[in-house]
Amino acid sequence: MKLRSLLTLATLTIISTTYAQETADAPLQISGSVDTYFKYDFAKTPNIATSFASEQNSMSLGMIDLALKKTTGKASFVGELSFGPRGQAQSIPNGAFAETGDGDISTSSFHIQNLYVNYAFTDKFTMTAGYMGTFIGYEVISPVANFNYSTSYLFTAGPFQNAGIKGTYAFSDKVSLMVGLFNDWNVYQDLNGMSSVGAQLMVSPVEGWTAYINVLNGYHDEGGYGSGTILDLTTTYQVTDKFKLGLNAADYAAANDNGGYTGAALYPQYAFSPAVALGVRAEYFNIKGVAEESDAAILSGTLSANIKAGGLTFIPEVRFDNDKDYSQSFVKSNGSATKSASQFSLAAVYAF
Amino acid sequence: MKFLAGLCLLLLVSILGMGQDKPMSTDDRGKLIYYEVVVAKDIAKDSLTMRASDFLNRSAKFMTIRSTDTDTLMHATGKMIINKTALVLSRPSGEVHYNFYVETREGKYRFWMTDLKFVPYQRNRYGNFVPTTSKGIPLEHQPGKLNSAEWAGYVKAVTREANVLSTRFKQSMVNKILPVIKEKPVIPTQEW
Repeated sequence: MKLRSLLTLATLTIISTTYAQETADAPLQISGSVDTYFKYDFAKTPNIATSFASEQNSMSLGMIDLALKKTTGKASFVGELSFGPRGQAQSIPNGAFAETGDGDISTSSFHIQNLYVNYAFTDKFTMTAGYMGTFIGYEVISPVANFNYSTSYLFTAGPFQNAGIKGTYAFSDKVSLMVGLFNDWNVYQDLNGMSSVGAQLMVSPVEGWTAYINVLNGYHDEGGYGSGTILDLTTTYQVTDKFKLGLNAADYAAANDNGGYTGAALYPQYAFSPAVALGVRAEYFNIKGVAEESDAAILSGTLSANIKAGGLTFIPEVRFDNDKDYSQSFVKSNGSATKSASQFSLAAVYAF
Repeated sequence: MKFLAGLCLLLLVSILGMGQDKPMSTDDRGKLIYYEVVVAKDIAKDSLTMRASDFLNRSAKFMTIRSTDTDTLMHATGKMIINKTALVLSRPSGEVHYNFYVETREGKYRFWMTDLKFVPYQRNRYGNFVPTTSKGIPLEHQPGKLNSAEWAGYVKAVTREANVLSTRFKQSMVNKILPVIKEKPVIPTQEW
């Protein structure tokens, strides 16, 4: 009798699932990704210090990323959690500090990449509050949305997340403006009050071309990382069905003459088919000297392929960096200082 | 035994229910097409044209009328979202842009959906799914071994959506256009 009940239940479940797929409007979105990589620096030591893909000659972990989104009428929320080196210590702050019984400091992570609520007051005006991926820059933390697996110096030096409240007004499909009040860069809680203001102007002059002009200004008494003003241009142009061109240029001037950076990266990409594409990242990055110190410049070239099979993307990549001012402390395999570094990596990213 | 036979029959019905969609065909340009000619006896051409026009106007959320150059042929462009669905969970995997044509004659009409182009979605920095490109890939494109299963899934989903749209359109061509009267229901409380 029990078997009969179970069989009936199973059958009805299958049938109801069949019809649910046809008609349900799916109120909850769930998505995410998993990534893993192997990296080999030809000097046999990890020279290039940009974010992620940092471990030498090892099959290493990126992160598992899980995102939920739900929209009810004009309101929606997004919650995105990440677990693993890329999604925790390498990209988000620790949530809390606590002393153990022995007096040691232990840390705990909230694992949060995105946590915000959104309300569309009209078709043109929306407001968003919470902890969000930054609006600055071309590259992002999630490997799914980047073409190259290793990241640029511009990405590593800029903000990762901005908690805050922002309003976005769309004048048309081609022009919109966002203005917001934000915490300091990459913090869940702003201990000196919300003291950063930011804005983003989006323009799309022709079909396939979108440009974002961003500014973020922050201030706190001590100056340092996150204070000062960052100006950023991020743009992509789908020139043809197969050829796409991206550009990121930014200037960051830290408050109190505490340095900053200037840089530009070009991203030409060519899709041989929907499954196979090849792309280059060519970057110039200049680290501004603090006070009287001189600047230091780096050139970087990265060649990556994207080979897709269903939800899986393989990213073989070679990268060559030149550090003429020895700011990155590159070394040869014998330990002596050198101006250049090169590496190979192979990453596998699965998105669902 | 009867119980098991009943279960098998129920399963068979549900499986058959999944496979009733009319498949897409290929037109003389090599493009995928959903094409139907429908006989509508006793309905005048003017009436069919008005009903088709009314359908396109009511579908403004996902269709835009491009031209009605002649009094018989109408052209609209549309967009459908392709979702990956499992039970109550769902996420968009892309959108398909298409051209929709309707042509009317005395007592019959035909309609077709073609020039289907798929635009894949990708999750952006805020966790929202957005188009990765502004230039879609023709759905009749042969994706190669690596993406064939994924692509077949898109074609299947588009076929299903085309059938849903076809059913809605044919239904609206059968019905006369009636003025919409929005009356609030009134519940009599004196009589019960």
